[in-house]
Amino acid sequence: MLLALLTLAARAQNAEIAVAVTDELGKPVRDAVVVAVPADGTLRAPAKPREEIVDQVDKEFVPKVQVVPAGTRITFPNRDSVRHQVYSFSPAKRFELPLYTGTPEAVVFDKPGVVVLGCNIHDWMVGYIYVSESPYFAKTDAAGRAVLADLPPHEYVVRVWHPQLAVAEEATRKNVEASRAHRSDIVFTLPLKPEVKIRRAPAAGQRRTY
Amino acid sequence: MYSPSELGASLGRARYGCALAVAIAGGLFAAWSPGTRAEWDFGATAGALYDNNLTRAQNPSDKRAAGAATAGASATYFAPLTGGDSVSGTLFGDGQLFDRFSGLSNLAGGASAAYRHKFGLGAEAPWISTVATVYYDGYRDTLRTSTFLNLRAEIGKRFSEQFDASAAVYYERRYNDHGEPVVPGISGKVFDLSGQGVDLRAGYAPGSEWYFSMGAGVRRGDVESTSKPGLAIFLASSAIAEDPVWGDPNLYAYRLRGTTWSGALTASYALSDKASVDLVYRYGLTRAAQGLEYITNAALVTFVYKP
Repeated sequence: MLLALLTLAARAQNAEIAVAVTDELGKPVRDAVVVAVPADGTLRAPAKPREEIVDQVDKEFVPKVQVVPAGTRITFPNRDSVRHQVYSFSPAKRFELPLYTGTPEAVVFDKPGVVVLGCNIHDWMVGYIYVSESPYFAKTDAAGRAVLADLPPHEYVVRVWHPQLAVAEEATRKNVEASRAHRSDIVFTLPLKPEVKIRRAPAAGQRRTY
Repeated sequence: MYSPSELGASLGRARYGCALAVAIAGGLFAAWSPGTRAEWDFGATAGALYDNNLTRAQNPSDKRAAGAATAGASATYFAPLTGGDSVSGTLFGDGQLFDRFSGLSNLAGGASAAYRHKFGLGAEAPWISTVATVYYDGYRDTLRTSTFLNLRAEIGKRFSEQFDASAAVYYERRYNDHGEPVVPGISGKVFDLSGQGVDLRAGYAPGSEWYFSMGAGVRRGDVESTSKPGLAIFLASSAIAEDPVWGDPNLYAYRLRGTTWSGALTASYALSDKASVDLVYRYGLTRAAQGLEYITNAALVTFVYKP
């Protein structure tokens, strides 16, 4: 009881960073990953590895963007009635789950970086796993907002990544002093590229030749 | 109206086409195993086309242009066998309803079977496919009613999310025995045709909505051209028949041996992940013996929906 009260009290003293992300036209940016890293580089290791899920639903990855701390085990349940073959060529994690239904063995994502997912059967399927070196991260909602809560008071380097980001993630860095029991509000305006993905929409075939 | 002999021949071809379609479907079913999870894809199309030289005529006075409404539906059974191999089978039906020349209006139905292999993992891995298609196309005027066989082998590669290209070789056969001889000793089967060709295609998608592609091809084989009688086309032809579709008793259909160079430009706009509108322009230049040549231009607009 005492421990719980102490924990709650400590949390109440922790800081929050509220982030709003827009594009250059001022529109909210959904699915932007916001990461806060202590400016002095000291990172607290997570207590135990987390487990997360990236589903395949209606031949799409759900969620399209998943953010996890390094060391997370992710499973890829196939909720469709057809088989998928999930793979990634990304340096942060190269893997392949041979043609399957159901839920295959979890994959451990232990190296920070962006992992781009694909399906070898349905080429238009694309998903992203952002593996964060920091335990302090969040993903923006439809309003382009995210909150990094429960941060130990510290100076942080906050940066943002998005699949359509037109500049290097490092170029988005902002230093934020997160004070005890205080909420800091910061705004990111991101230059975004148009979304380029393999088109899923059908096209008419040409059967009659003469 | 069908004459009894035409009806008999037509039904014979229909039975032949159906038998092949069932054989293809059976082959696909045989490829199915209890461990195979397949998916069904259904599709529907509706659109219109305009062709400025339906007669495939050389002389301007023999050319006939018209438009048609088009519609079609298909059901595709797709089964990945391994990560790199898949088979699919498609049953389809479609039709064309011409505003003029009602004898050109037709209904087609058939099946295709395909095998596809991907050389590696990922969207950019090159692939090959082979497709066999059989369909029966019944025209309101039975001269053109035929059973078609098309065998196609294709190789392709995606170079990025935006660029892809493919090349294909094909053989096609149109089985038809409806034409009655009008010149003793010369066949009347003007639509009994065969040919083979090569197609090249490249596509570019600037974003997730538009997709543009251009294609070019060359085909060597039999073609049909309708024109008034003349010495050149008579000497070049291997079959001649009356062609009543055009309502002009001076026009005859001729089967020629020729080479066709073709080009196509397509702009496809995605309305959603399940629907698109395609605009296609097709050009064709056919050259045959005796200095004969004709040019065709066709435009199509098609709404495509796959739920």
